[in-house]
Amino acid sequence: MQRIECPERDDWRATAESAGFDFHTIDGERYWDERAYYAFTLDEIERQIETPTGEIDAMCLELVGRAIGNEHDLRRLKIPEAFWDLIAESWHRDEASLYGRLDLKFSGSGPAKLLEYNADTPTSIFEAAVFQWSWLEQAIERNIIPKRADQFNSIHERLIEAWRKVGGTHPLHLTGMTGNTEDAGTLAYLADTAAQAGLQTTLLDIEEIGLRDDGRFVDLDDREIELAFKLYPWEWMFHDAFGKNLKAAPTRWIEPPWKAILSNKGILPLLWEMFPNHPNLLPAYFEDDPRAASLGTSFVRKPIYSREGANVALVSAGMTLVEQEGPYGAEGFIRQALAPLPNFSGQYPVLGSWLVDHTPCGLSIREDENPITGNTSRFLPHAIL
Amino acid sequence: MKRSRRVVLTMMGSAAIGAVSIGFVPRRGCGPGDSMVPGPDGKPYCRPAFGGFGGVPRNFHGHGHGSGGHAHGGG
Repeated sequence: MQRIECPERDDWRATAESAGFDFHTIDGERYWDERAYYAFTLDEIERQIETPTGEIDAMCLELVGRAIGNEHDLRRLKIPEAFWDLIAESWHRDEASLYGRLDLKFSGSGPAKLLEYNADTPTSIFEAAVFQWSWLEQAIERNIIPKRADQFNSIHERLIEAWRKVGGTHPLHLTGMTGNTEDAGTLAYLADTAAQAGLQTTLLDIEEIGLRDDGRFVDLDDREIELAFKLYPWEWMFHDAFGKNLKAAPTRWIEPPWKAILSNKGILPLLWEMFPNHPNLLPAYFEDDPRAASLGTSFVRKPIYSREGANVALVSAGMTLVEQEGPYGAEGFIRQALAPLPNFSGQYPVLGSWLVDHTPCGLSIREDENPITGNTSRFLPHAIL
Repeated sequence: MKRSRRVVLTMMGSAAIGAVSIGFVPRRGCGPGDSMVPGPDGKPYCRPAFGGFGGVPRNFHGHGHGSGGHAHGGG
């Protein structure tokens, strides 16, 4: 694995905007960054990222199967009891998942380590599936990167296949916080892939979902929402006013309710408990577990629910080295063994390993000058050399 | 080859997609969640309740993503 500096395409911003990638720069700061790319060997991709991604997903599904009927696990994960049946029913009905993204620490030396699983509302899929793919094609054409370069990225084609399988002939609503440029862009891209799969799509803001007197969720035209993709997390749905109506409404959701079990950092100690010493896992415990002391005085403290690195703290020899601000932590914390991200020229990359329909199929990379990846971390492309 | 052979966008970057118009559906009576509103023809219509998801201020740290300070649901 290498980080290689390279020239930017002089027209990349115009290219981005013509493709609808309006959030390439956010609040004046770079988000898409092609001043460098990460290079991997094919062996690193296939043996050390792709294969472990599939294994980790399989372990996670085993965890869900166990947690679904286990009150102790559900309480440890702080899943509200009112939604246990909704979650269990979606699992027993085998409701399909479209996608997810594992965040991995990897440097080329030693096995990849799971940092967390964005199982419910992973973002950066447009950048991963489309924009870095087009970067590769153009960078090869313009001799920015070698002609033999490839990329671990069949996300776009697999999304279209997955929509055909998931969507059937149902109309699809896509919903989220459309006032946010990044989320709107992600929704638009997923709508595009769904349309290419033959689904009829309608976009609406999460606040535009209505509840009819027959208990069905509807859109602004009073059409029933039969199948809904949401870029809005389950833990927020559960606490919203319509949360209590979820069980009775026949709407099928993507991601399905059972994914709420996995989009929770509490799975990290549960995975370690179920698969101790697995090479791709880091030791992890709930903070109130006496076994957490085995991590010693160096660990990473993460809220059970948090997003984009918020409220994550790196503790070394009892001293907090870095701590991100944020509003999370009310549900408690987990501790994970400290595995510092590799330093490539002063940048700390985290690998996002994508699954579509449970198939590992792509890689995205976020890097930051800060060893905790967060909201402002930049997206860099990659190549296989 | 480990990448997509072809990546084509058919909707993005073009005109607005999925525009949804607000319509009224005539009902005989309003259910508990519905609201009675006058329709364009003067007759009363029932609208479903909206806004039951979202709408809760969610404070996010720092100067991260989100134009105009909007929170975002992705992570």
